[in-house]
Amino acid sequence: MLAINGLSASYGNVQVLWDVCLRVDEGEFVALVGANGAGKTTLLNAVSGVMKPVSGSITFMGHRVDGSSPNTIVNLGLSHIPESRQVFTDMSVRENLEMGAYPARAWKDRRATMKRVFGLFPRLEERAGQFARNLSGGEQQMLALGRGLMSLPKMCMIDEPSNGLAPRIVSEIFEILTSLHKEGITILLVEQNVRQTLAIADRAYVLENGHNALDGACCDLVESDHVRKAYLGH
Amino acid sequence: MTALRDILITGLLLGGLFALVSVGLTLQYGVARVLNVAHGEFIMVGAFLTFWLLGSVSLNPLLSLAITGPAAFIVGFILHKTLFRRLMHSSPSLDIFEGRSMLASFGLLYVVQNLARIIWGSDVEGYTFLNSTITGAQIPLNRLVALAFVVVLGGAFYFFLARTRLGKAIRASAQSPSTAQLMGVEINNVLAICFGLGLALAAIAGSLLSTFFAIQTTMGLGYTVIAMVVVVMGGLGSITGAMIGGIILGLVSSTVTFFHPSLTMIAYYVIFIVLLLARPKGIMGK
Ligand SMILES: Nc1ncnc2c1ncn2[C@@H]1O[C@H](COP(=O)(O)OP(=O)(O)OP(=O)(O)O)[C@@H](O)[C@H]1O
Ligand SMILES: [Mg+2]
Repeated sequence: MLAINGLSASYGNVQVLWDVCLRVDEGEFVALVGANGAGKTTLLNAVSGVMKPVSGSITFMGHRVDGSSPNTIVNLGLSHIPESRQVFTDMSVRENLEMGAYPARAWKDRRATMKRVFGLFPRLEERAGQFARNLSGGEQQMLALGRGLMSLPKMCMIDEPSNGLAPRIVSEIFEILTSLHKEGITILLVEQNVRQTLAIADRAYVLENGHNALDGACCDLVESDHVRKAYLGH
Repeated sequence: MTALRDILITGLLLGGLFALVSVGLTLQYGVARVLNVAHGEFIMVGAFLTFWLLGSVSLNPLLSLAITGPAAFIVGFILHKTLFRRLMHSSPSLDIFEGRSMLASFGLLYVVQNLARIIWGSDVEGYTFLNSTITGAQIPLNRLVALAFVVVLGGAFYFFLARTRLGKAIRASAQSPSTAQLMGVEINNVLAICFGLGLALAAIAGSLLSTFFAIQTTMGLGYTVIAMVVVVMGGLGSITGAMIGGIILGLVSSTVTFFHPSLTMIAYYVIFIVLLLARPKGIMGK
């Protein structure tokens, strides 16, 4: 579904991704893990078109999308749920969700989609009229996820949804990700919470200093010495 | 009592016009990141076009809004798509773009003002419109009609921003252009639309202003300064703040002008400084 080959990206003169390769097949749940500054967010930004890569190719559902504009990519069915939630704080919860349905094909179905999102996140329905800035961190993350689903995506890229949240909320978010995956949405999850992530994903990639370090099935990676030492703390 | 009523009506009218003009500047600066020093020139152009259409084809000044607004929108849209967009892509950062786009808008100021001077000269002009007073009162009808137009136009614009798909995209882009892009918003179009809408609001305000004030091709800069004061006072980038700030400044203007016209400009700055001391980030600033 998504194929990234030889991707390099830089900010000005500083290169942060070097020849990175990554593949996500339809229906898979793939994780991308790595330390702070490894380049995970940069990779997602390059895929969603927010940032133009220096070289390499990105293919989504058979279309070359490297260099395409973000709206083209959302329209193809790839939703990017950004790091640190980025909800529109001065808009209501309902308006945030409506913005998620901005692509024309999603806009006409927005009411029905919003009902489904409210089914997934009942707390958002209770707060539909409130400004997003008055939500708790966990609720904002749910809003960011719900907003990302409003464009009726086939695949979601989710950047560190557990960041800064209490363990109980993190488990709740991870359960929701699992149920989204069961509903048929392909997922690429970026996380620093390696243990929990490897427990729910099918496969994972490890990114170190902008390079591919390791990849494989999650059940194999948790056994690997390198992953145990560097990411699981033993 | 009648003095109070006149002050209030003129204050609300000026306030409404300042609000339209300042919301226009907020769309340009808060969303499109262009601190448009030439903003007030389009008030002048709107006023003179209305004046000229009345003189040449006897077009009712209120109907000419339907020409000056859309014409200014088209000019703004094209200016952004060509000049400002190119500047944006060649600037390494947003801060540098802000500096360069402000310089470019200085250029625009001189071009527009001098063209206007060639066409219309530099004399004070004006015309009489609805120059009757309502029976038993001293309020000129033209001010009341202009006030009604400002209220209706302001309300319609507010509805557009609050309720429509494009209006929501504009507000989302004002808060975070990159996140709005992730939602599928074509940011370059939204920025050009914001710039065009900004100029359209200025031109419409100018057309209305000409129905009760004298006009001159050098009048623009004063309004640009007022709009900048209002935008900072309201909280940079806040549309609601610009509306509230505009109305406050309008009321201040009519009150001070009533008692002591030469102190009006000073009063603006006093209010500006007092408000910023009380709320450093502006009325709606966070
Ligand atoms: N806008 C930017 N300008 C310049 N350098 C940047 C920018 N954003 C990120 N970087 C640098 O690029 C590198 C990769 O950053 P990136 O945000 O992709 O890492 P990450 O893996 O997402 O980290 P984290 O887990 O902390 O979110 C870092 O060294 C970072 O300092
Ligand atoms: Mg990151």
